[in-house]
Amino acid sequence: MNYNWNWGILLQPEPGGTGSYLQYLLVGLGWTLATALAAWVIALAIGLVVGTLRTTPLKWIVRLGNAYVEVFRNVPLIVQMFLWFFVAPELLPTGLGDWIKQMPPPWGSYVPAVLCLGIYTSVRVAEQVRAGIQSLPRGQGMAGTALGLRLPQTYRYVILPMVMRIMLPPLTSEFMNIIKNSSVALTIGLLELTGRARAMQEFSFQVFEAFAAATVIYLLTNLAVVLGMRALERRIRVPGLISAQGAGSH
Amino acid sequence: MISIQNVSKWFGTFPVLTDCSTEVQKGQVVVVCGPSGSGKSTLIKCVNALEPFQKGRILVDGISVGDPRTDLPKLRSRVGMVFQHFELFPHLTVTENLTLAQIKVLNRQKDAAVAKGRKLLERVGLAEHRDKFPGNLSGGQQQRVAIARALCMDPIAMLFDEPTSALDPEMINEVLDVMVELAQEGMTMMVVTHEMGFARKVAHRVIFMDGGRIVEDASKDEFFGTPRSERAQLFLSKILQH
Amino acid sequence: MSGFDFDVIQRSVWYLFRDGMTFTVTLTLMAMAGGIVFGTLLAMMRLSSFAPLAWVAGAYVNLMRSVPLVLVIFWFFFLVPYIGAWIIGEKTPIKVGAFWSAVITFTMFEAAYYCEIMRAGIQSIARGQVAASLALGLDYWQTMGHIVLPQAFRNMVPVLLTQTIILFQDTSLVYVISATDFLGAAAKVANRDYRLVEMYSFVALVYFVISFAASYYVRSLQGRIAVIR
Repeated sequence: MNYNWNWGILLQPEPGGTGSYLQYLLVGLGWTLATALAAWVIALAIGLVVGTLRTTPLKWIVRLGNAYVEVFRNVPLIVQMFLWFFVAPELLPTGLGDWIKQMPPPWGSYVPAVLCLGIYTSVRVAEQVRAGIQSLPRGQGMAGTALGLRLPQTYRYVILPMVMRIMLPPLTSEFMNIIKNSSVALTIGLLELTGRARAMQEFSFQVFEAFAAATVIYLLTNLAVVLGMRALERRIRVPGLISAQGAGSH
Repeated sequence: MISIQNVSKWFGTFPVLTDCSTEVQKGQVVVVCGPSGSGKSTLIKCVNALEPFQKGRILVDGISVGDPRTDLPKLRSRVGMVFQHFELFPHLTVTENLTLAQIKVLNRQKDAAVAKGRKLLERVGLAEHRDKFPGNLSGGQQQRVAIARALCMDPIAMLFDEPTSALDPEMINEVLDVMVELAQEGMTMMVVTHEMGFARKVAHRVIFMDGGRIVEDASKDEFFGTPRSERAQLFLSKILQH
Repeated sequence: MSGFDFDVIQRSVWYLFRDGMTFTVTLTLMAMAGGIVFGTLLAMMRLSSFAPLAWVAGAYVNLMRSVPLVLVIFWFFFLVPYIGAWIIGEKTPIKVGAFWSAVITFTMFEAAYYCEIMRAGIQSIARGQVAASLALGLDYWQTMGHIVLPQAFRNMVPVLLTQTIILFQDTSLVYVISATDFLGAAAKVANRDYRLVEMYSFVALVYFVISFAASYYVRSLQGRIAVIR
């Protein structure tokens, strides 16, 4: 079969002159993680708020939260990326829109990617938070109220701390999802790991080496995340509290 | 017909059955009783190889159950089993429950299987329910269908694992009546149960188990008259209060 | 900002749906069918008592779930021509279009997710059902085929359908191999006529309407499907 195997390609310099192909890929990993972490912060912040609001007794807030979830859940991620990258600058007032369009790469791709991914993932986080809160025995909230705590205080001191622990396993898988989903940003020009593997394939013609290296890097990153989360879980464990089952689509 | 010889079984290191031996002759009805955890359900499930065992031998009509060369599906098709929780197949109608194994295992023609099913359904008094789903039937009705399902296979022996334990009291008798009839027709039966009234009526022998061992294995009259072991006496005295 | 040009949408709607949406829907349905079949097989392998089989299936599922779908799309896009050549005995990689590459990719990828769903479904069937089936003399395959899988499948239909809706949205990623699915078709029009805002907004709207309606339908289905116990 006509394919020249050459694993050494990874150590050979890449055309852009930044170093070896392996280094080129690892910089991509850096961008992947930078995107994932920034988006994760946004996702947690919004997701916590939206998820919590959906459990309050205020009907119109719940409906608003539901609308938010439905809108961002029913549009594919890549379409949302395109909306943030191509459409959003056009919808803003001309001054702001032009400034955004002139952002030099990689920021021109990075910022929309982070915003898009953050909001996309916040929906899933919101679902986990809502499920976590609703899985707590109702007595917890009542006990808080009986002590004289007001609703926001009950959430802050009683409910949310417990919920965070219950949610750790499903949140781990959401974090891994965000790392995987960051690959979609290559369609708007962000040179993260998968995008760079594709570029490496185009320059060097070593298809399998390029994608195999990327695959291995993703697997190792996953492993690191899983181990890290497990260590975190051990440190903050509450005896007797059973964590929620995360049944997952990707 | 059924010969259990020195059977022992462990779950890991925990002994579940220890050196159990007994015989059930053709046409005999043997009742197995004892406290929870005594291993009686496990023992009966060993007879048709639903539970494996590590030591000893079990022969059903001369065929060794534990032998790896034995055709287990074929053997199981000749021994009927009735479960505590009925275990009818909820997605199939009553008739389909009765005919599935006849068609797939005994290779009977569909018409013959349906006719047989109908006949046995009449026998247990449930002919008009033949197109219903198990979910539409009461517990007692489901168990009677389960008995009919096992009988459709023309078994040489029937095993019952606490057939009435999951039933509401008013439905127990309808099932026991069917079992009594079966016994009186000469079916070889091994029954795990707490229903001592049933035992007194039709059992030939009663086996008492405790802690994985067969503690007492006596004829009915001996068992209810003067059982030899203290443990059996204690059990009887407690259970016969009702 | 110049006015929103509804005309470009109107002009291209026929193309978008006849070429693009048929691609998307066909790909979704084929990958769903293949994925559920292969996924059920994987689930049975994972649950089997034959350790090597369970291990292989588990490794496959974990691999597919650990790697971005975009990367998997690239993998199969480049791999399938080589494997096809190896099977037929050709020297050079055979030509496989974007569509068939995508069908294979999504079938293999989604199978990992359908597998976990079916595995949960199979495990939810009470062991007594299996015992009763074996006691009647049915063997393993008959028990799976007539008793376990029909019940497991019926119980998992809402979850399987939800996963299919996700699959429907995921197919939009074939953009990276320049396939003409619904998004790809819209992108072509957008770039040709320089009307990105209109086309991409339209695409988002259509996906939203279809996905929202589908998940609403699945939710309403949830009550009616459960097998009466």
